Amino acid sequence: MTTQINVTESLDTSGVLCPLPVYKAALVLKRLQPGQVLELTCTDPGSLADIPAMARQRGDTLLKTDDRGETQVFWIEKGTSS
Amino acid sequence: MISRVEAPPHLTTDRQAQRYNDIRELLPDPDHPTPLVRVNRVAAGTTLYLKLEWLNPFGSIKDRTAVYLLDGLQARGELGDRELVEASSGNTAIALAALAALNGTKLTVTIPEGVPEEKKVVLRMLGAEVWETPDDLCPVDHPKDGAIALARSLAAGQGGVRYVMPNQYENPDNVAAHYETTGPEIWRQTEGRVRAFFAGFGTCGTITGVGRYLKEQDPTIKIVAIEPQQGHRLPGLKSFGEAKQPGILDWSVIDDVVRVDDPAAYDMTKRLWREEALMVGPSTGAIVHAAAGYGLDPDEVAVGVSPDSGLKYTSYFAELLGEEGLPQL
Repeated sequence: MTTQINVTESLDTSGVLCPLPVYKAALVLKRLQPGQVLELTCTDPGSLADIPAMARQRGDTLLKTDDRGETQVFWIEKGTSS
Repeated sequence: MISRVEAPPHLTTDRQAQRYNDIRELLPDPDHPTPLVRVNRVAAGTTLYLKLEWLNPFGSIKDRTAVYLLDGLQARGELGDRELVEASSGNTAIALAALAALNGTKLTVTIPEGVPEEKKVVLRMLGAEVWETPDDLCPVDHPKDGAIALARSLAAGQGGVRYVMPNQYENPDNVAAHYETTGPEIWRQTEGRVRAFFAGFGTCGTITGVGRYLKEQDPTIKIVAIEPQQGHRLPGLKSFGEAKQPGILDWSVIDDVVRVDDPAAYDMTKRLWREEALMVGPSTGAIVHAAAGYGLDPDEVAVGVSPDSGLKYTSYFAELLGEEGLPQL
């Protein structure tokens, strides 16, 4: 059984190169409340390294990553201290 | 009946009379240089002059760079109707914003986190959009150069049709600005007697352009670069221990590198305000600290760059001063 993720806000950064997806994701996470979830779609393969690093640095939780080849989708839960 | 003489529609520009019809006419050139002012007290036993670049019309040495960057883009047909995007710790962006405003061009600036609020407000007043960027924004690929990486990704987006990035770190027009203006000005203003030149590592346009020009006049002139400590708080300067070296840096014109830490730079900045009445920014403090301790001969003419004034750093200075200058009742 998989756990349902309740997405608060979605952000599609398709076609955008790093670090712009990181920058935009950080802006959205800034306005979310702790515990709320951002669903982030990227197409830059560098995101597979950068988004987890960003989440770690900010104190957020990367709930799930789905690498679909052309696109990568991340579910990030805002942390209490970020 | 007395006939009236028709007045011309406007007065013509007259640099002798200091009368101008466009702010851009105040930009310096070898015939109309920024001032050289001797530092008389804080560098005792030297003949050190500061080139007061904050007397440029948009407030810093980057006025020269910005006009060359924009002229280059226009001459190559790269600007057109596109918007500008540039990474800057503030001064290049301010000059670009002023020139872009006159040109009717939109400017987006990616600016490192921690740049004083004053600079960001100046940029927004000039109509620029300011994207404050943590240095470690892209932690994997671009450590400590987040603003540059972000500007690059904006410029590359949408097929490159929306934005053009002057890219002061890699653009030879930045070097040309100083090779064709700052360098010749210093040579003429010192009557060819300059023996040493001090400037900071930043984009490296100044040190490379001025250094190259002065070395061509006399290869024995010493070109000294100032590098801050890692994690420094001296906007405009770069430590290559943590930031990538700009592509325009030419090591062949540099004789020496002096490392200056923040306390020494800020202490000298304060002394320049209080002992010389030179209201300079902290990078000038770093440059003068290096020159004062360099062991220059008393009759050896040296020139240091004063890139900008301190008025854009008052929030930093307020922290530095603490309670100093307030009544202690």
